[in-house]
Amino acid sequence: MSSALTRLWERLPLKKQTAQSGIRVFSNQEPQQNQEVEDDEEFRVLSLRTVKQQFQRRQQVRRDPITPPRTNRMAVDQDWTAVWPGPRSFHPASVPLPLRQGFTERGAAAPSKFANAELMKIPNFLHLTPPAIRQQCEAIKKFCTPWPKGLETEAKWQRHFPLEVITTDYCQSLPTIRNPEARRVTISLKLSDLKFDAHARDKFLRLVGDRYDKDTDIVTFVTDRCPQKKQNYDYALYLLTVCYHESFVTEPWEATKSEADMEVYLFERNQSKLSAERILNWNAKEGAPKVAPSKSFAVCVEQLINEGENEYNLGKYKEEVKKMLSIA
Amino acid sequence: MYLSRQLRLLPRANIARSLSSSGAHYTTAAPAEDAPIEIPNRIERSPTDLLQALAGTVARDHTAPHYKYHDDPFLIPMSNAAKRTYAMSKESGRKAAKWIKEEHRELFMHQEAQPAIEKFAPSMVYTEDSVVDESSLGQLISQGELKDAVLVYNLLEQKGNPISPDLKQSLLELVCFHNNQEPLPEEYIEERWFLQNNRRRERSGKTWKDGDLAEKLYSEIEPKTPQSYASLIRGMAKYLQCERAYALLQEAGEKQVQLDTNTFNSVIEIVSFLKDTAEQRWQLCTELLNEMSQQKLRPNLGTLNAVLQCISTFGNLKLARTAALQALPEFKQLGVSPSLGTYYYLLIIFCRERGPVSHVIVDILNDISGKEFQIQHPKDTYFFATAMDVCRNHLHDKSLAKKVDELLHTGKNYDLIGDSFKESIYYRNYLALLCQTELIDDFMMSYDRLVPNIYIPEPGIMEEILRAIEINGGVEYVPRIWSDMVVFDHTHRESLLLYVLRILVDNKPNPDSAAQAQLPEQAAKVALDMYERVEEAIKRLRKVSFTGQMLGDILTLLVRGGSYEKATEVFAHIDKNQHRIPGTPSLNALLEFVDASVQEKAPSQALLALQYAVENNIDSRALAKRIHEGFTLNETHLSKLKSLVGESFLDK
Repeated sequence: MSSALTRLWERLPLKKQTAQSGIRVFSNQEPQQNQEVEDDEEFRVLSLRTVKQQFQRRQQVRRDPITPPRTNRMAVDQDWTAVWPGPRSFHPASVPLPLRQGFTERGAAAPSKFANAELMKIPNFLHLTPPAIRQQCEAIKKFCTPWPKGLETEAKWQRHFPLEVITTDYCQSLPTIRNPEARRVTISLKLSDLKFDAHARDKFLRLVGDRYDKDTDIVTFVTDRCPQKKQNYDYALYLLTVCYHESFVTEPWEATKSEADMEVYLFERNQSKLSAERILNWNAKEGAPKVAPSKSFAVCVEQLINEGENEYNLGKYKEEVKKMLSIA
Repeated sequence: MYLSRQLRLLPRANIARSLSSSGAHYTTAAPAEDAPIEIPNRIERSPTDLLQALAGTVARDHTAPHYKYHDDPFLIPMSNAAKRTYAMSKESGRKAAKWIKEEHRELFMHQEAQPAIEKFAPSMVYTEDSVVDESSLGQLISQGELKDAVLVYNLLEQKGNPISPDLKQSLLELVCFHNNQEPLPEEYIEERWFLQNNRRRERSGKTWKDGDLAEKLYSEIEPKTPQSYASLIRGMAKYLQCERAYALLQEAGEKQVQLDTNTFNSVIEIVSFLKDTAEQRWQLCTELLNEMSQQKLRPNLGTLNAVLQCISTFGNLKLARTAALQALPEFKQLGVSPSLGTYYYLLIIFCRERGPVSHVIVDILNDISGKEFQIQHPKDTYFFATAMDVCRNHLHDKSLAKKVDELLHTGKNYDLIGDSFKESIYYRNYLALLCQTELIDDFMMSYDRLVPNIYIPEPGIMEEILRAIEINGGVEYVPRIWSDMVVFDHTHRESLLLYVLRILVDNKPNPDSAAQAQLPEQAAKVALDMYERVEEAIKRLRKVSFTGQMLGDILTLLVRGGSYEKATEVFAHIDKNQHRIPGTPSLNALLEFVDASVQEKAPSQALLALQYAVENNIDSRALAKRIHEGFTLNETHLSKLKSLVGESFLDK
């Protein structure tokens, strides 16, 4: 009690000096007596007015009995797809499997499924059991049409449907159902499905630039400049059409292409053809038919210059020259 | 986020068309040698068809609660009260959210959703000073906002704005439909589900508001149109202002106003309030029908059901039958196909309490089994509960009940069960019928399927089940039933407790059969559990108290189950509270207790039992004999025995 009184004194404000000293005296002088009182009975409260004592009996909350997990009542041959029809986080009282997961000390068993956060954290695929998938496939089969006749092989349908259009729909948990990415449209087709002459092909490839993949021979247009999918689709088809038609147009300035502008070496329009002809027609009579260099020689020269000098090309060139000059 | 990528292949013809417009020299024509391809047409489907097809694969899981409850042992409701409480509290959360939305409307003015969701925005507030015009009134009427529509209408009236007759007519229809009372909002499904039949009780009397807005609106519409007549008559008939509805109908007839079929239907429905005897009712009904045929109105399903409803109120069974049989083929000729409501009326016409037995339900079921129904008439939801009631109380036929149940689980017919009240009537009758007619093992299978997630038996049905168990000797199911009774809070029903004990005591388990090998221990557990529960209940609620019989049975079961110590405790309770417990345990209970004492070598307990028997005037000779034969008693015990039964007993 003395310690309690001291604490009380410490808390008293400075104004009450007198009261302080009084208590102090009390606490110093009669510690023994205090001790006895404490032993005898509890601290008596000085009640000036008789207050009716209110006994508040604490109401015990009656709880409904908790049932055992319903896995106990599940039949062995129950329909699992009815128990777990959709994606849901794991619940031990609904999954009748003795699962264990989590880290423990060495040698101890992993924690059981009850109150196991590890099992709840990971996504489960309990709703995608093979029977469930089978049932769902059966259910939506009535909306499916049979595969078209005459399109059995990939080669066949690629021949009938040369153009690929790829669009994407997004399903998200946002207030809006719109997704800006959904406007993107990709169309692609094999260049070999279009018919070109040499000039048109060259021009088309120049027009489409890096939209053409040389390795797979596929041209791809990706359009996303319009706000809607439909508009982008129309735009993509428009681009394809326009590029194709434009490639067949020969502008007047295209005729002014000089040798320096050529991107590849062509035997036909170069000096080596003239030289070869001159050699072949050496001493030929006037009016006699001109002898042209052979096709293989032309190819060989083009290859030598376009691909660069290497052992194979040089060897080939040597062969061809020998053949042309009939030097056995 | 899920994404679905669509890959579409354009046929060659399409490209050719778009590319070949300017010149023929570079078209890409398909090679001619190809076989023609056949692409099947797309199968049309609505946006939700796929989802519904997938949902159709999910069957009801009988171990799980309804999906509106959380699937967690702590949150699965286990009594009818809990079911109601849980569902309603969930809904009250929804209501609270709605209240917040309306109260703090400034926080919900933003509309992030695209397309905007109107229900998420706070509703418009109309006050006395809001600026309104006809279009806002029209919008409110189309939204069915009765209170606001009436307010806006009054505002327009005050300002002297003209209101078009069309708008007035649609407001009249709205007011007549709801009787100028705000209806329960549609989104509170749980409240509707648990509303029970309060609504019906309300409707037994006239609720139409005389001289209210509806009639004012009606008087304002000049000249009177058939539509205005029709809406007022229908409103009056719906809220049982019968005389005036009928008078208005006659007035319309005199003025040669062409009314429609549904208005006549609504008046036929209230014929029973207009006339008292069956003959008069039938006469008025036929008059109305004749009037319809004069006006060249084609009767519909509503007419059929209204006529049958009128017939079902006939006290005269003979007239009712003939009238119903007369009406049915006539409507069939007219091409009106009956709904479940029609069959409901037929059932209540033909199968009456204390009336002759009618097998009309057999024909009905033959007619409709395997069909899927849609709601067509408000009374369609009454069919299943009534049909099951007829199966149980009128015909007492198990196979019919199973047919009804099969029909209920066909397609989406379960939507027509009505509300929780009707559902529980249905299952109450079904379960009671099954437990009276089926073998106990079969019955327990259906019991496991239905209880507790679909239906929780009331105490009365529990008693029926216990009776079935007693009759069929299925004592091994009693522990299971007891645990259900504990969960469903039936443990304060004294009759049920006594019944459980009686079954357990009377059917002494057969130790040879495998099913009953565990039974003595289980029975002892049940008895002990019951003892503790009753003791607890006495302390708290005093709904139930011990009787001598009950305690004797508990004693017996404990002794049989081998828990002798507990038995002595119970016996001490009996002995100590003799004056408080009405009745005494049976002699057999004491005998078994003494036998067990002999086995446990506890002579003092046996002597206590003997003393108790002597004090309570139970025949004590058999007890004394057993004690004397079973023990080799020491001096003190022997003298006690002597003092209890007298010297003479030992000499014999």
